[in-house]
Amino acid sequence: MKRLLPWVLSIAAALLFLAPLLWMLRASFSPETQIFQPGFAGGIFHGSWTLQNYADAWRRAALGSAMLNSLLQVAGIVSVGLLINTLAAYAFARLEFPGRELLFGVVVVLIILPVEVIAVPLFFTARDLGLTAGYGPAMAGLIAPFLAKAFNIYFLRQHFLTLPIELEEAAVIDGAGAWQQFWNVALPSIRPALATVVVLDLLTHWGDFLWPLMISTREETRTVQISLANLFTQPPIQWGAILACAVMATLPVLALFRWLQRYIVITDSRTGIK
Amino acid sequence: MTAWKKSYARAAPWFLLPALILLSLFVVWPLVRASLWSFTNADLLNPAQKQWVGAGNYGGLLADAQFRQAFGNTALFALLVVPIQVTLAFVLALWVNRPEPAWRWLRVVFFVPTVVSMPVLAVLWTILYQPAQRTEMGLINVALTTVGLPTRAWLHDPHWALPALAFMSLWQGVGLQMMIFLAGLQGVPAELHEASRIDGANAFQRVVHVIIPALRNTIVFVVTVTTILAFRLFVQPYLMTHGGPANRTRSLIQSIYETTFLGQELGRACAAAILFLAWVGLLTLLQRYFSREDRA
Repeated sequence: MKRLLPWVLSIAAALLFLAPLLWMLRASFSPETQIFQPGFAGGIFHGSWTLQNYADAWRRAALGSAMLNSLLQVAGIVSVGLLINTLAAYAFARLEFPGRELLFGVVVVLIILPVEVIAVPLFFTARDLGLTAGYGPAMAGLIAPFLAKAFNIYFLRQHFLTLPIELEEAAVIDGAGAWQQFWNVALPSIRPALATVVVLDLLTHWGDFLWPLMISTREETRTVQISLANLFTQPPIQWGAILACAVMATLPVLALFRWLQRYIVITDSRTGIK
Repeated sequence: MTAWKKSYARAAPWFLLPALILLSLFVVWPLVRASLWSFTNADLLNPAQKQWVGAGNYGGLLADAQFRQAFGNTALFALLVVPIQVTLAFVLALWVNRPEPAWRWLRVVFFVPTVVSMPVLAVLWTILYQPAQRTEMGLINVALTTVGLPTRAWLHDPHWALPALAFMSLWQGVGLQMMIFLAGLQGVPAELHEASRIDGANAFQRVVHVIIPALRNTIVFVVTVTTILAFRLFVQPYLMTHGGPANRTRSLIQSIYETTFLGQELGRACAAAILFLAWVGLLTLLQRYFSREDRA
């Protein structure tokens, strides 16, 4: 009995955490009339199955273009942002220049600044730069403000600092310039930290809501989260289609789940205690 | 300075410029603008025509019943979420901190909701919280009926709407905090455990006298981050309750958003944003103060 209790508790807790998501998946394949039936409750075996919800969601939420926009947005932020932030982090860690400590101090202070504080004036800055007119500029408007990130610069700098200086001195003797040093020696040595930054940015920006809500107001620039919110609020309300859209918006992150989980743990052990 | 260091110093601007230009343009400049606008009566549609109003917006906000209610709602949300989420995360971390593979699976299960985006979960939980209408109801009410409890109109009930948002939020976030605690637990030296075991400490005493002091900085960090995240509450009330019923769930960020785009009072919204920043800054300073300074 005493041996069994941890198992019973664990399975109950696991169900509590998974049930809502499993229910979402099952209900997204069931006819509208069945979703709120008390007897249904996400039953896997009884009740009928349909793909109609996905067809409706695909059409009404313009899921094809919405998914593409979200993918472009996240890919842009992650890839270009990674390059920009590692460059700056490397300079702060390894290159000596006047005012370095002061400048780095400013970056550290910016870490705590939540995007909500600057969202409103940021909207005007984006508009002044023409980042709200037309598809291309609006996509740039989704991406550009989040490329340089104070936390990422700080985090990557800490990892560059842990590299043994002898490694780089050896490269200097071989005649490597600052760029070769950065690209061939330092960057490959902090791969796990790079993965952590990619994972954090990916998760954060895939779920972005406030900023896209403000800037991607045109239908063709909507991200998947905004499309979902529109489907959720605009009549006629089709619960099945909403659930199908929610599942589609979750698939990309679930597909990367193993990878996400591996690197997020590293993050926390490194940043948990700064 | 050696020759190579000098040549490297010359390269520094090229490494720094992209990040510094972008940070200035999209972070520092908007922050400066928010601070400046917060002292004016700037209007959303015509921000160029504005007049200096001194601290008028700040005074107005502090006296404004709606703003105070939004702050109060958000503070109550934080009070509901932070203690429960941090404690639960800590207990779960202790619970799953065992080497067998089965426990690794359980860790993964607790972690799954944290990778799902908040808008998706807000939509999903609105559906789960659906009140009973004729014979139909959401999954939560189905579960309550099954065990013989009464159903509720969770998101439409002024007393239950905010706790309902708090419940789904901590269900979503607890896995991440658990991971942070797990990483911290792995850092507790094994000798500490051994020593306390030899001294005859039971499991509870070990947690109180060995693990909690050893994880002090991690705990302070998790409490601070969770509190700041709780105060950034926006998506849940925006999508699930629209700030209702009776404004009981309108959050601070939501009121900034609405003051900007519905009220079009740009100056006032910026003042609210700056107050929010001051609050976040204060929380961060508190974290610094309570963290033990035994690190370089």
